Amino acid sequence: MTVLRDYAATVSQPPLDDTVRPRRFDEMVGPDGSLRPAWKPLAELAVGLTAHDLYRVDGDIVRMLADEGVTYGRPGERPGPWRLDPVPLLVDAPTWAPLEVGLAQRTELLNALLVDLYGEQRVLRERVVPAPVVLGHPGFVRAMAGARMADSHPLIFSATDVGRDGEGGWRAVADRTQAPSGIGYAMENRRVLSRVLPELYRESGLHRMEPYFWALRSALMQAAPTDTADPRVVVLTPGTHSETAYDQAFVASTLGFPLVEGSDLVVRDGWVYLRQARGRLERVDVILRRVDAAWSDPLELRGESQLGVVGLTEAARRGRVRVVNPIGAGVLENPALMPYLPAACELLLGEPLLLDSAETWWCGEAAGLEAVLDAFASDPELRLTGIDGEDAGLAGLPRSEVVQRLLATPHRYVGQRTPVLSQVPTWRAGSARPRPVTLRTFTVRYGSAYRPLVGGMANVLDELTGRSSASKDVWVLKADPADIDQGLSGVLAATPGRAAPVAAPRVLEDLFWTGRYAERAEDLLRVLLVTHAVAEDYRTRPRTAGGTSLEVLLASQARLAGRVHADLDEEFRSVLLDADRVGGVGHSIASLRDALAGVRDQLSTDTWRAFGVIDRAVELLEGTRYSHQIAESAGRHLTGLLSLQGSTANMMQDEGWRLLSAGRLLERALQLCHLLVGTTTERRGLDVDRAVLGAVLEAAESGVTHRRRFRGYVRPAGVLDLLLLDPDNPRSLLHCLVQLRGHLAHLPGSTGSTRPERLLENLLSEVEAQEVSSLVAIGGADRPLLTEFLETMLDRLTTLADAIADHYLAVGPPPRPLNSLAVLESLPLEPVTGTIPIITDDMERPPGIPPRTPRGGSRPGGGERP
Amino acid sequence: MRYRVTHRTTYTYDKPVTDSYGLAYVTPRTLPSQEVEQCEVMVSPAPSDLTTREDYLGNLVTYFQVTEPHRRLEVEAVSTIRTAEPTHPEASLAQPWERARPLEHPDLPGSRDATDLALPSALVEQTEQAAAYGAASLTPGRPLGEAVIDLMRRVHRDFTYDKTATTVTSTIPDVFESRAGVCQDFAHLMLACLRSHGLAVRYVSGYLATDPPPGKPRIVGADASHAWVAVWLPGVDGAEDAWLAVDPTNDQTANERYVTVAWGRDYADVPPVKGVIFTEAKRSTLKVSVDVAPLDEDGNLIEVVGALPAAASAASSAAASSAAGTPVDPAASED
Repeated sequence: MTVLRDYAATVSQPPLDDTVRPRRFDEMVGPDGSLRPAWKPLAELAVGLTAHDLYRVDGDIVRMLADEGVTYGRPGERPGPWRLDPVPLLVDAPTWAPLEVGLAQRTELLNALLVDLYGEQRVLRERVVPAPVVLGHPGFVRAMAGARMADSHPLIFSATDVGRDGEGGWRAVADRTQAPSGIGYAMENRRVLSRVLPELYRESGLHRMEPYFWALRSALMQAAPTDTADPRVVVLTPGTHSETAYDQAFVASTLGFPLVEGSDLVVRDGWVYLRQARGRLERVDVILRRVDAAWSDPLELRGESQLGVVGLTEAARRGRVRVVNPIGAGVLENPALMPYLPAACELLLGEPLLLDSAETWWCGEAAGLEAVLDAFASDPELRLTGIDGEDAGLAGLPRSEVVQRLLATPHRYVGQRTPVLSQVPTWRAGSARPRPVTLRTFTVRYGSAYRPLVGGMANVLDELTGRSSASKDVWVLKADPADIDQGLSGVLAATPGRAAPVAAPRVLEDLFWTGRYAERAEDLLRVLLVTHAVAEDYRTRPRTAGGTSLEVLLASQARLAGRVHADLDEEFRSVLLDADRVGGVGHSIASLRDALAGVRDQLSTDTWRAFGVIDRAVELLEGTRYSHQIAESAGRHLTGLLSLQGSTANMMQDEGWRLLSAGRLLERALQLCHLLVGTTTERRGLDVDRAVLGAVLEAAESGVTHRRRFRGYVRPAGVLDLLLLDPDNPRSLLHCLVQLRGHLAHLPGSTGSTRPERLLENLLSEVEAQEVSSLVAIGGADRPLLTEFLETMLDRLTTLADAIADHYLAVGPPPRPLNSLAVLESLPLEPVTGTIPIITDDMERPPGIPPRTPRGGSRPGGGERP
Repeated sequence: MRYRVTHRTTYTYDKPVTDSYGLAYVTPRTLPSQEVEQCEVMVSPAPSDLTTREDYLGNLVTYFQVTEPHRRLEVEAVSTIRTAEPTHPEASLAQPWERARPLEHPDLPGSRDATDLALPSALVEQTEQAAAYGAASLTPGRPLGEAVIDLMRRVHRDFTYDKTATTVTSTIPDVFESRAGVCQDFAHLMLACLRSHGLAVRYVSGYLATDPPPGKPRIVGADASHAWVAVWLPGVDGAEDAWLAVDPTNDQTANERYVTVAWGRDYADVPPVKGVIFTEAKRSTLKVSVDVAPLDEDGNLIEVVGALPAAASAASSAAASSAAGTPVDPAASED
């Protein structure tokens, strides 16, 4: 039997106890056990899939999503891998048609409501919507009320979550207008599924999604407030820690618009500008906003926000920049509006509302309160929330307390009865199980109409928690194979790929640290690999030459990453895996990922393959205790990092690339000096020194060259010459510095006499003046001149790194509330609400190279969740 | 009365500020009992951008941006105001207070606007303590005017004026705890007490012309910005709705010595000056000087000398005048 046939057989059985809950509508199987029309043409292909096939497909999906670094994080959690179910949700054209019309109308209505609420407020004055529903909602932004709307359709892009009730009718469950997320995930789902189920995808005759992105792109460009030939559009993100950071970066790069953070933008005289390198400003016409309104302007909205743009509200009010969706659009997400939408539709559009909402009551009205109190006693499907949609502190309260709160301030609460959602076959450990599903739909204002995406992203819900447990691709089938994709003809195809380059200081900084952390991780990996190899041979022979050289190498590794565990394997594992261990490989890779995420739109998707490889290497090591797997895993880590280097080598050789390369070279020089201080400055006897020097050559990737040049005769002078002073060895200090000089010279901020350039010239002349013969000079058991030289180098390199950051990456002073300073003088510090990142890595910092100073900024959620 | 009000706010910093963005609520409103003859807002250093607009509640708010580096920022507003004694229809004051709850009576004219001021706001937590304190004045069926004035008197009696008792971030429970505060705290306290019973109340920001100490001449710049509240009075028998302004700090209803600048749900809606600055500075000093100078019809300053005690004792009506030396609001209560 095949998986889907089993499924059909199971769900068409009459339930054992049909009294418990109403039967769900099944998306694949009709009540008589036959396939629904959408599935019929695919019956042979789809129903033929065996458990074996689906295991393979599921595995492919997981790997592809990991390779592209697709993540999603729930609020307050670390982002985890994005989950996609292998079985798509199929919808045929006749089923889709009423939803499409309903969504177009609903968005038209939401737009009209938005215009009205921030303008005349007819719905409130005529009491079609009770005033407290709107005025008591945190999404109503008074700073935007009364502002002239840019045009009659300020709502450009919205999302609505819909579900199907027991009879298969569509119902809206929630509207998302603040900063709708998910369309990037939807597109990614399609990309992956079309590759892992190519036959099914080809045969299904579904609407392709690409033209919709082109329409979205065009809609955003046309939203520009001024008549510009080439409007500048940016995607404003709360940053890499947002739950939907992947979605934001995907949208930005697919649309070809740069992904920017609040600190990349600046308001001058009511216009918004994008900071480019060296203080240059470039005007921005349209902002696709993924930062919640409350956080988007510390001047007029939440004052402690570090995510926003000071003065953005004023610029938007003056109509000098178009914010999509407008600041204040979040008021439409209010579930308490739902009961009033039919009347509002009659008033504002003069037509009946087509798409029903889930049954909802606002408790501020006597009838609503009564209905909620009634249902509260008996109906498990009733969900009670604040009008902001959050649980409003009711969760876990005793029943009597909830009733008391409801009676005390009824206008704050909403009751909603979740519809009996339809179910879909969902792949779980060897079989397909029925699971409830909702569908996130998207609608864009394109040309003169609202156009829903023909497709979407389905959320498979966990029966118990009601939370999303996986996503599904949604295949809406064409009525006729000749139908145009998305019904959109004449949209200008845009080449997806990378966003227009941005050289904002923040972007350059992320690239600089990308270079540094990639190199930091790589160099330590090489040290770890040779150390581990020596350990395999000598860990039980402490007093041999090999045993002593192991001690030396371990001490050298500890210079960079500290020493935590006495047990060697534990220590190696921790260096590789522990993301909190500053200086360790795990930490450098986590920091690298963070830096790269900030510039994700600027890079090719190949970049993320490196992390796919590394993540699998991590899993490998986590799953086993065998010592040899340490080397295996470290080797794969290295492979991942080298592939990253390969993809950055293909970057445009612009400013960003130069800073990335500069970061890499600086870091390489620093790491090399640390390695040499720990290994070559002390004499430990001929045999030990020889073993140590051999390991150093390996760690510095110069073993082969050395063997060729010196025929295997390892002496300190030869090693130091090769690693410090040889201009042709790409791993030598001199080579790094010469290369670095080349990069700095090409940066726009360079004059030949800036501080970083001067520092570098001094460094270079000092290195060039060195003679190996004097460096290796012996004083007792040490090489004092070498020690002094290396320590000086470390000192100067650190100064140089700071100078480069100061000169090329300076962002200017941070914003702060005007009155926070005055308060500092006489009163205790103002308590700050919202979360401020805690800098915890002051503890147990190894003596090596300090980590990047985190950028300031509190970080609430990035828009709502898909 | 006619006044010239000068309100100057000066910040000095220990390090340069590269950019200042600010909002200032310093232009008085035009009201039936208040005419604004002239008002000018000046920012120094010269801002590259300065505009004044009407906000959602009809207040005039000035937006400015200074782009040249500076260590000193000054916002000065000079206005000439003519005020009259506000009047309130007797019938509105006499109606039972329960009728003045817009959420309960959405059908009353003006109810929609009043709703905004009956809902909770960020700085005014509607605690049980506040509700209980308010209940003592809001007894069933009591005339609205009487109930509100009673509450005002109790706040004045039960709470001590003390600049050191609270800070700008003090909450309603803090004020109950310390039983002391400044005008802003008392205003927020009244908001909490009245709103927790469903009444609509404005936080009002403005100035109060003060008398010098007995026998002393007026000192220029010694006044302060002030805050009080105004309660919604629904219209009775087709009359228009109105607002009753009461000042718990000075135990009186607002009279012609009060200059209304702006109102909102609480202080956060209408701070005299707020902003965001870009700087590495760690410290700054804030100096606020307010001068409310009486003018004659020709625009000349009227010399005022503090009334002597004998004369002051004659003034018994709460609305008659502010007694000499009554606390107004100190500069420190601004931010």
